[in-house]
Amino acid sequence: MNDETTTESLAKGRTYGVFRCLNCFERVSAPTGSKEMTCPHCGFAWRIAWVAPDFPRIRGPVWDVNRQLAEKSDAEEAKKGKK
Amino acid sequence: MAKVLVIDYEKCTGCRLCELVCSVKHEGVSNPARSRIKIVKWEMEGRYVPMSCQQCESAPCQAVCPVKALSRDETLNRVIVDYDACIGCRMCVAVCPFGAVGFDVLGKRIIKCDLCDGVPLCADFCEVGAIQYVDASQQSTTKQVTAADKLSEIMQKVAQAISSV
Amino acid sequence: MALNRKIAYIDLSTGQIETKPIPVEMRKKFLGGRGLDMYLMYNHIKPGIDALSPDNVVFVSAGILGATLASASSRTHIGGKSTLTGFVGSANMGGFFAPELRWAGFDHLVLKGKAERPVYIWIHNGEVEIRDAGNIWGQTVHDTQQIIREELGDRDIKVLTIGPAGEKLVRFANVMTGLKDAGGRSGMGALLGSKNLKAIAVRGTMDIKIEHPAEALEYNKKIITQVTSAKVSQTQGKLGTPFIWGATNSQGLIRVRNFQLNQLENADEVEPEALEELAVGMAGCFGCQVHCRSKYIIPEGPYAGVYDEGPEYTSQGAFAGEPGCRNANTVLVGNHLVNIYGLDNLETGSMIAWAMELYEKGILTSKDTDGLDLRFGNDDALIEMVHRIAKRQGLGDILAEGPLRAADKIGKDSIKYLVHVKGMSNLHSDERATPALALGIATGSRGADHLRSRPAIDLYHLPESVLRSIYSQPVPYDGPLSSDYRDYEGKPWQVVWQEHTYEAVDCLGICKYHTIFLGATLPNYEEWSRLLYLNAGLEMTPLDIWTAAERAYNIERLFNIREGLTREHDWLVDRYFDEPTRLGIPGVRGRTIDREKFKKMVDEYYEHHGWDEQGVPRPETLQRLGIDNEPSHML
Repeated sequence: MNDETTTESLAKGRTYGVFRCLNCFERVSAPTGSKEMTCPHCGFAWRIAWVAPDFPRIRGPVWDVNRQLAEKSDAEEAKKGKK
Repeated sequence: MAKVLVIDYEKCTGCRLCELVCSVKHEGVSNPARSRIKIVKWEMEGRYVPMSCQQCESAPCQAVCPVKALSRDETLNRVIVDYDACIGCRMCVAVCPFGAVGFDVLGKRIIKCDLCDGVPLCADFCEVGAIQYVDASQQSTTKQVTAADKLSEIMQKVAQAISSV
Repeated sequence: MALNRKIAYIDLSTGQIETKPIPVEMRKKFLGGRGLDMYLMYNHIKPGIDALSPDNVVFVSAGILGATLASASSRTHIGGKSTLTGFVGSANMGGFFAPELRWAGFDHLVLKGKAERPVYIWIHNGEVEIRDAGNIWGQTVHDTQQIIREELGDRDIKVLTIGPAGEKLVRFANVMTGLKDAGGRSGMGALLGSKNLKAIAVRGTMDIKIEHPAEALEYNKKIITQVTSAKVSQTQGKLGTPFIWGATNSQGLIRVRNFQLNQLENADEVEPEALEELAVGMAGCFGCQVHCRSKYIIPEGPYAGVYDEGPEYTSQGAFAGEPGCRNANTVLVGNHLVNIYGLDNLETGSMIAWAMELYEKGILTSKDTDGLDLRFGNDDALIEMVHRIAKRQGLGDILAEGPLRAADKIGKDSIKYLVHVKGMSNLHSDERATPALALGIATGSRGADHLRSRPAIDLYHLPESVLRSIYSQPVPYDGPLSSDYRDYEGKPWQVVWQEHTYEAVDCLGICKYHTIFLGATLPNYEEWSRLLYLNAGLEMTPLDIWTAAERAYNIERLFNIREGLTREHDWLVDRYFDEPTRLGIPGVRGRTIDREKFKKMVDEYYEHHGWDEQGVPRPETLQRLGIDNEPSHML
């Protein structure tokens, strides 16, 4: 008899030490103890905090960088819209 | 080497799971009034202190018992109750300096921590490590290290302050 | 056994007290907690009554697994006709009250009528007493609890109480226990206040038999590991709920300046980690290892040195995001004030932010505010308004009436700027980019609310396979599911699923942070089935639990329909459809909710529920659930 519940089996897919970029949702990692990182997939920049020494999370955006990237994307969308 | 329960109240989050597992383990019920451990709270100040039997080497409860129902179990380093001998006079309850011997009104008998015969559930279930079951020789080690860590931090700060003057 | 807890019917007008057992068949139908409260509510509240009249009834309860080894079995539910919306009133809080109520012999309290003068109720080991509350009327939430403990001579007494705001009938006054545990939503504090009922004190030393103790202990240990090994629990144990506000603010999914913006830029000082630096430790509710409650001492200003607990997401929203402030001390002070006055921080923050926008637009002037410069970003004005609402002074007296009544009094175009559903303000989140979350708040039985049905894991971009394994149990589902939170397809089913799941959690009396709310890998139906058996000896399959929850949710729907709810109430304010978001990551910028697609979502949502196109449960649905003859007056 298989006693494992659905959530228990899902728990096996947990990933420690990596986290999702809050812009592109790709899984990314940061060097231990680092305070900032740039997503290698989309270029958005995040400030990093550490819940535990091996457990990083995004603390918040690097405000200026992400704002500029978002505004650039707005401009591109607007251009596309005009076409 | 016998083990002891070590309580670090600074780590306690006040959740009282220890009281719950203790009463379930010993009485098969959820009822903190029948738990051998109690979290004494100053709720409005956020202070929570787990209180349990210290298994004293020179135990007042043992000394005061008129029928010698309390005795020392050296293998587990604990004070145990012989319920066949106990007459329920509650002298041990009166004399314990920690209030760690209780009288179970429903079970009509005294209750105290028996270290769950070597696997104390309160420690086993305490995720934050406020209650730990460790070798007696290790009891003060953790505190020593923590205190030393704080001290050295202060020393470093002082050294930095002096060098920057 | 664990199921022998009783109901106490207390008539505050006559002083009559009656206790009754709860038949097992009613347990199987509604479990306990919110579910059984909703049954009682549908049976005991007459249609169309004034919510502040003695005709209204208060229901207080513990869940069926309260105080057992179900992990975090701490929750207290309180219900009644909402003084804010006139629909279902229902609020839920953590802490230690519900376990103590169970140890005192009761699972449910039904409080009717109105006391002639202020009273409180004292419940002790099966006995119920109505006592004079002359000396505690007017006292803060915190002081009331201490005074009662001293008066009755027992420091372990747990107290449920209203603060001065509830006494003043502020329509979003809450009911509280401990320092910060709040039954916050739907104005239950005003309901108690209207009955001259200041508090309920409980203390009990009665056994709750655990049916299979050794296995229950072992299983509890397993659940604890499952919960504490989740990343989300560890994050929450360090940062509390502010971590959610932080993560969603990083993307642009929160509300700022009363919905004008969707991100508080440069919010570094009120970020979770910044607040954590001010915390002096973490505390837990009964039997919980997540310990998400921050303990803090206010660092500066007139309240410097005061100890309190929190702040939660909603205090960041209320005292930072919505009013556009960026000061941690303001968040802590605001949090403390709502705690002592007994105010719903969510509604308080939303009402003030709305007033700030009206002030900005010139609909309110300094004449209306008695000279207070109520502009966005003015921390002092924000804090002053909290006092004025609690004391019903000046503009505060109008705001204390809640969104729709206040808009009616202020007039002009003020209603245009309200962000509410069914007359209740929404969490300080912005759902314009997240249709699933938008549908959840639009359809929630107690009004705009995130704890009725929010599929929060929709924000995690989980693979479709994971979503499918979650959302196709315990009832099969083979319709669409999408990992993209901006999609409309498949989301109605997620909302219905979460609706039943949260109802089940509230019936069991456990905390949502120990289930599939913020973490996809936390326990749900399968685990609950085992917990019910081991702790309470009740044999119910995952599907049985789902059906009990569905039954209870349909009773809530029936109650709302009886009070005049129509399809139009399951809808969002125009701003969701007409004003695009302006900030955040590219994926959430320029977003609005599409009216047509949203209408289709509501249709699908009704269909999943077995309701007709007007949102009324179909006769066959009620028949299937065995509630086609309600009210049945079994209890």
